[in-house]
Amino acid sequence: MPSPIALTSAHRQESIFKKRSPSYITAMRSAQSYLIALSEADARARSRDSGSTSSAPTFSLTSSTTTSSQGTVTPDDPYDNSDGLAYPITPPTSEQIVFADHLQFGFCANESYRYKAAHKPGTPFIEQLEQDPPYYILLTTYLSYLFLICVGHIRDFFGKRFYPAFYRHLLPFDGYAPLNSDFDSFYTRRLKERMDDCFSAPVTGVPGRTIMLLDREREGYQYPFYPTGTKTRALNISSYNYLGFANSTGGCADAVEECIRLYGVSTCGARLEGGSSELHVTAEALVARFVGQEDALISSMGFATNSTIIPALVSKGCLLISDELNHASIRVGARLSSANVRMFKHNNMESLESLLREVISQGQPKTHRPWKKILLVVEGLYSMEGTLVNLPKIMELKKKYKFCLFVDEAHSIGAMGPNGRGVADYFGINPQSIDILMGTFTKSFGAAGGYVAGSKALIDRLRLRGHGSVYAESMTPPVLTQILASTASIMGVSSPSTLELTQHHPGPADPSQLPAWLDLPPSLRDGSEGRMRLRRLAFNARYLTRGLGKLGFITYGHTDSPIVPLLVFNPGKMSAFSRMMRARKTPVVVVVVAYPATPLITSRVRFCVSASHTKDDIDTILRGCDEIGDVLDLKHLPGERWSLERIMNNATELVNMEDN
Amino acid sequence: MDRSPSALEPLFAFLSYALIQAELAFFKIPGSSVIARYVKSSHQNDPGRTVLEILLALFAIRTLLQSRTRADNGEKHFIQFSEKEIDELVDEWTPEPLGAPLTAEEQTDLASIPVVSGANGPRPKLVNTGKQVLNLASYNFTGLANNETIQERAIETLRKYGVGSCGPPGFYGTIDVHMDLERDIADFLGTEAAILYSQAFSTIPSVVSAFAKRGDIIVADRGVNFAIQKGMQISRSTIRWFDHNDLKSLEDVLLGIEKERRKRRGPLTRRFIITEGIFEKDGSISDLPKLIELKNKYKYRLVLDESISFGTVGRTGRGLTELYNVPAAQIDILLGSVANGLNAAGGFCAGSDIVVNHQRINGTSFVFSAAVPALLAVSASEGINILRNTPSILSTLQENIRAIRSVLERVDCITMPSHPASPIIHIHVRPPPAAHLSPRALPSTGSTKPSNPASPVPRDAPTFDIVAEERLLQEIVDEALSQGVWITRARRLRGQEVVEARPSIRLAVTAALSRKECERAAGVVKAAAVKVLAKRK
Repeated sequence: MPSPIALTSAHRQESIFKKRSPSYITAMRSAQSYLIALSEADARARSRDSGSTSSAPTFSLTSSTTTSSQGTVTPDDPYDNSDGLAYPITPPTSEQIVFADHLQFGFCANESYRYKAAHKPGTPFIEQLEQDPPYYILLTTYLSYLFLICVGHIRDFFGKRFYPAFYRHLLPFDGYAPLNSDFDSFYTRRLKERMDDCFSAPVTGVPGRTIMLLDREREGYQYPFYPTGTKTRALNISSYNYLGFANSTGGCADAVEECIRLYGVSTCGARLEGGSSELHVTAEALVARFVGQEDALISSMGFATNSTIIPALVSKGCLLISDELNHASIRVGARLSSANVRMFKHNNMESLESLLREVISQGQPKTHRPWKKILLVVEGLYSMEGTLVNLPKIMELKKKYKFCLFVDEAHSIGAMGPNGRGVADYFGINPQSIDILMGTFTKSFGAAGGYVAGSKALIDRLRLRGHGSVYAESMTPPVLTQILASTASIMGVSSPSTLELTQHHPGPADPSQLPAWLDLPPSLRDGSEGRMRLRRLAFNARYLTRGLGKLGFITYGHTDSPIVPLLVFNPGKMSAFSRMMRARKTPVVVVVVAYPATPLITSRVRFCVSASHTKDDIDTILRGCDEIGDVLDLKHLPGERWSLERIMNNATELVNMEDN
Repeated sequence: MDRSPSALEPLFAFLSYALIQAELAFFKIPGSSVIARYVKSSHQNDPGRTVLEILLALFAIRTLLQSRTRADNGEKHFIQFSEKEIDELVDEWTPEPLGAPLTAEEQTDLASIPVVSGANGPRPKLVNTGKQVLNLASYNFTGLANNETIQERAIETLRKYGVGSCGPPGFYGTIDVHMDLERDIADFLGTEAAILYSQAFSTIPSVVSAFAKRGDIIVADRGVNFAIQKGMQISRSTIRWFDHNDLKSLEDVLLGIEKERRKRRGPLTRRFIITEGIFEKDGSISDLPKLIELKNKYKYRLVLDESISFGTVGRTGRGLTELYNVPAAQIDILLGSVANGLNAAGGFCAGSDIVVNHQRINGTSFVFSAAVPALLAVSASEGINILRNTPSILSTLQENIRAIRSVLERVDCITMPSHPASPIIHIHVRPPPAAHLSPRALPSTGSTKPSNPASPVPRDAPTFDIVAEERLLQEIVDEALSQGVWITRARRLRGQEVVEARPSIRLAVTAALSRKECERAAGVVKAAAVKVLAKRK
């Protein structure tokens, strides 16, 4: 079966309808037989309820009486430390406080493994140069793709003739055009399928410092995966858990539990109809304060924040200027807005300026009327590149060319800046000089959804004009509470003695901005833990980037970026890297990305460091990369090389080095 | 000077050698001698032609090399300015503000939206009034919102999984509970598979644009909801419209397309019929068996949006398929809302393995968005469990719908376009009798010419005064709220929908209220409508 994705395997085994094969359903023409099948399905579901034994290894969905034992937070075997993940290498002493499960948030008491990342005022923005690999790497990469394409076409050619049943859904059949033509799906079927084990791996539990993989296997490329029933715990350098707020214990989780008891799990409708909760109002005020804007609007999905708000900002006769590497959600929003769209080279300010001069002087195409407005959309931190937007230069251009600025801080909010307030904080720029700040709660906050923040008048306009507030479900109370609790923890909540501080921008939250029942533990309430998390994240990000550089790997992006892409170029090395990392004694899960998410040539491994990682975890990753990098011939960066030991022993020095 | 010829000699030798080698290599290519002979003879006959051909070849290469982004400069509309002129133009340009400030009416409108204090449910307390109200505004059809079992399961899940999934499904965001919910939905409906999205509203555009591409044909109902409209907009397919919930009109449109295709002998493209189970705009219900008959006859794929009908109609809430006893597997692409139907969050698409797997790579809002929080997925699974095991919820819901309708049907000044089984009941203001004398009353007797399928606006579109009707409806809403019943106008993005829907009040009936309470609430709505509409001239 072409293009099987991992998830189908579970269905195959356990679906009630599936057991009788799809032909049963298509044969079931009469309403009578359908009704019988439905009642049988219900009966089976009920009997599954009463008999508590379930062969499924997954979190079973039976009634609460049988599952109370499964909801525990302890690791499966508390004494098993064979993979080196369960216990810290440097154990805590009696006076140190361990506030989280080491598997979810690593214990690290060494105060020197902290760093405060900020752009030094007055220094120029350092362009992030993209190092090219040696020519033989380029050549072999192109040859690999050529080879894969040739083999794929040969297989298609013979497959269509000898196994037409496998190709039926790709070719016209019975008067229907195929849902997906064989040409369109070629890349998926012939290239991606070979390394499907590196994507969409099913997991369970908290995506914290470590993650529990549900092991799966398949007979061959063309067969679907089936679960083996075993699990593997692995070091997680892949989730967007920048500040480590993805936790099933601790202050935030306690608050969410309290919230579910008080508010339930649903708000039942759209914001403007029947789904506005007081929690929305509270959270929006706090988020506005957090990012330093007058007001904010929360949307229940990060992707939808862009795709529903951008059409409310620009329309016909307006121009949207977009960085060429902007996220898909921005592109969808741009397309829905029916504004004109122009792109400039990724983070290239000369390209942007010359485009601005051209479009303002030329005006609208054909008519040459002036544009109603120009909206520049950039991302704060690019999720595939790790590049940081050149905000100081953009602010200069903004003054001169009078365009409106929309900064998508999906990855940078919470993760960048000395106070975690995003790129504006990092560069020391007044956030109110940016028209629209957008961000998501999926990443640093361990929640879901997104926000836009701006002036009160603009946000009120978006409340009425955004698609989401009229037609989409509003955010649910548990997610809102996670946002409230994590945001308050990053900011800290002012006590009466520090109340006057709340007037300044990167200041703590006002206690009146939080619901009365929200009871945060002292370390979260005073912001000390939030600061510690920010500084641990900054240290880890810098240490990993520089460590990889000193080992000789080509990485992209900014030194302070928690997203660290490591370039592997050859497509074959990508899957090899992923598999070798997972097969180590301390398994590590990594994200590999290739064409079409990146240019054809620059396949990469993407690390997302987190505050929950300890220095030892980063060492583990560096050691893994070092060994695998030798095997796969990945070290092509010219310049000074350090040995692994030297890097590990001089981590603090490495992190504190100035940029050159 | 005299040394240069000798210095260049090896170069000449090499050049002539290379030329000979190139010639030899060229003649080794099969068929090359034919080309060479052709070029030679053509040059002999007409040397001018060789020049022309070389120029043509150069022009072709130039066109190929010119990138698309530079095309704008080459356009004839491009005006060359000097740097100084550009600076002046930049100084001159004054953009509009990003968003116009709200008008006074809009501000009152925004401020009047009720905010729930505490948990939402059948009898929530509102922040605005501080009082408890009967809720006919929120989507809580089967009363799952305050279910304690669901809350317990959500807390258990929280204690195992945390809140956020911290990643898209492709990158370690596929949690086992998502797979369980997908399987539960597929089992519940009786399809091969299902896929879970993290917001219901974003599900539909993503699914539509994952399948329908430029050149494909979409035949859609004129009354489809905003999400479907947006999906069709992104897909860039050819769109044909049929009259709202009129399958006769659908058949005419399908016949027309078939004729056109035969005439033009165009290639076989994907063809879809997109419609809703229960229409969000007016609560009418599609005739599913007839739809399936038509789609099979004309070989279309059916995309059915069950955002309102899933979890609200049928014996156990399986939706339209259960209501009509049609196997869900006959619907190619079935969409539904986990947020509305199961009181959690997200949307789903159910269908065959092929349909679902295609979206795992090509569904934009699936691929590029973080997965639903685990505790919400488990809540939804538990919701399905409850619906399965307690069919009485759905019969209570139907009783409540009947109770409310029986009160409201006796009111003269309003009309209800919704189907008697629909859990959302739309209320329109009945136009004053004088309006019937306007020219729009004539076409009903006269021409029967069908609407233009290429235009979303139907022939003889009803006319109504949006502003005036909305004001009246808002007065009814406010009046009902002051009597302790929370209802809402159906909100619309005016000016952005392809066809303006008639302003309406939308009641969302819930099984969580008793029959008595429903009758009381309906009585309040009735009294408010009578009171407000009696005043109008």
